[in-house]
Amino acid sequence: MSDPQKNGPKNLFEIGGRLAIICTVAAIVLALVNAVTAPIIVRNRERELAEALSRIAEHRRVGEAIPIDDHRAVRAIFPVFENDELYGYVVRVIGVGYGGDMAVLVGARLDGYVFAATLMENLETPGLGKKAEAPGYMDKFVGTGADRPVPTRKDQLDASDADAVSGATMTFVGVARAIETASDFVRKME
Amino acid sequence: MSTMTTLTRGVYRENPIFVIMLGLCPALAVSTQVVNALGMGAGVIFVLVCSNAFVSLLKDFIPEKVRIPAYIVIIASFVTVVDLSMQAFAPALSRNLGVFVQLIVVNCVILGRAEAFAAKNTVGSSVLDGIGMGLGFTLALVVIALIREVLGNGTITVFPVGGFDGTFVIPGLSEQPVRIMSLAAGALLVMGYLKGLLNVIEDVRARARSAATRSATRDGGRA
Amino acid sequence: MTYIGIIITFVFINNIILNQFLGLCPFIGVSRNVESAVGMGFAVTFVMSLASLTTWMIHNVVLIPLGIEFLQTITFILVIAGLVQLVEMVIQKISPPLYKALGIYLPLITTNCAVLGIALIAVRNEYGAIESFVAGFAAGVGFLLAILLMSTLREKLDTEWVPKYLRGTPIAFITGGLMALAFMAFDVALLRNLIG
Repeated sequence: MSDPQKNGPKNLFEIGGRLAIICTVAAIVLALVNAVTAPIIVRNRERELAEALSRIAEHRRVGEAIPIDDHRAVRAIFPVFENDELYGYVVRVIGVGYGGDMAVLVGARLDGYVFAATLMENLETPGLGKKAEAPGYMDKFVGTGADRPVPTRKDQLDASDADAVSGATMTFVGVARAIETASDFVRKME
Repeated sequence: MSTMTTLTRGVYRENPIFVIMLGLCPALAVSTQVVNALGMGAGVIFVLVCSNAFVSLLKDFIPEKVRIPAYIVIIASFVTVVDLSMQAFAPALSRNLGVFVQLIVVNCVILGRAEAFAAKNTVGSSVLDGIGMGLGFTLALVVIALIREVLGNGTITVFPVGGFDGTFVIPGLSEQPVRIMSLAAGALLVMGYLKGLLNVIEDVRARARSAATRSATRDGGRA
Repeated sequence: MTYIGIIITFVFINNIILNQFLGLCPFIGVSRNVESAVGMGFAVTFVMSLASLTTWMIHNVVLIPLGIEFLQTITFILVIAGLVQLVEMVIQKISPPLYKALGIYLPLITTNCAVLGIALIAVRNEYGAIESFVAGFAAGVGFLLAILLMSTLREKLDTEWVPKYLRGTPIAFITGGLMALAFMAFDVALLRNLIG
């Protein structure tokens, strides 16, 4: 540590002033960086969401997001229209996985029938939870939710599907519960 | 101190992770894939070099009494620069690293180097010190990630280039991987055994050195 | 998620040390004996609860309305550093015995990534004010639990035979790994059975 005697100001105002100058410069620099990156980040997010939505809705038209504030897991819903008629909703729902929370987009018809789902962002362990990002992972949930319940336990799956989630039970349960919640949410809306 | 030692010290002899054991949290948390380790390492090198340079540059301007808050402001600014640029230009990596990019700010290596080295040395050697320490950090991270990814998932994931998707698959291991290595428990186990291995290496080297000194004295005595 | 759910999640399922790797430095560094581990644990719990609530307020009352979320990292770490100072002064004034017990651990907490970590996680999970506070408190209790178990094990290990090269920190890491393995038994199924 350098000798405090030789080191400059002892006056409180000057000490505070110098610290304030450093903070101000830092804030200005960051504002500039933010001005450059913010539009790109927003565009990235929008593109990601748009891609995910169109993957789920396929040929159908997706309407504006409706934010949901008073639900423990559902964060927003997007109405989906087929031939200008309300077909169902895409639900953005938060599930609990191994590495923390993860966002799942679930497409559900008005009767709760799950027609598609996709994992948005998650902190799952690679090789474990990341399995849920693999194509085809969500197939086992498609077609459930209306007359068949959403499988939320491994023993409700057939052998090949159960194998696909082996070693990643937590992620499976997290995704399954999120999808179940979304399906219930849409069914109970009417 | 020579330029070369300033640079290489952080890589092995004072390696921040294995020897001084600082900055462990990000090291273990993001070491599930090699690509994450590389990305994290790059972020830390950038922050370390910039903060070292600026702390050294401003060492006469920063009042002694508030030096820690001042260092924290400097470090946090560069961390934010890394965080924002990563979100903008490498969104996939930013998603993988998640909250740990912002947590670089509390990586004790960075504040430690600012206080222990940059505040007392010239800008040039502070930059070198930052590069050395950053490389050492990255190296340690990549070693841990390599062990965990190979054993835990049977793959090595680096950057995708052209048609190559960035993942080497190791036949055999990828069908029957040691899953535990991918999990939190695996990270702690790997760290423990690596540190033990390092102790063995240190011991062997120390013995070789003392044997060399002994024989040198004997030769000297004869001559 | 209900408050009980948050508590179970952060104490057991996503234990801040054994699952999220936050706060590893004190976990290894301050776990040599039970007394200091408990002191550190209580100090962290205290600061974490306050910090997650304060940072929630900063984020939702200052940063978002002003549109300056890019200053999140910088404000959060400064708020935590300031908070630690404040807590230190207040404790010193109102309860000298408590200050004597916790005092030396408080400065270490500023650079404890668990405190900033839980504040950032609470914001990312879009928690409300009370949820953030509960998450901070639960994460602190999880930290206390892990470091207490660890220090008890390490005190035992001191009297046991350990291979020469694994003595000290290596065996501490390996012990931590085995503890993390045991904590894997707590999963979402537990949460479902307890609170449905």
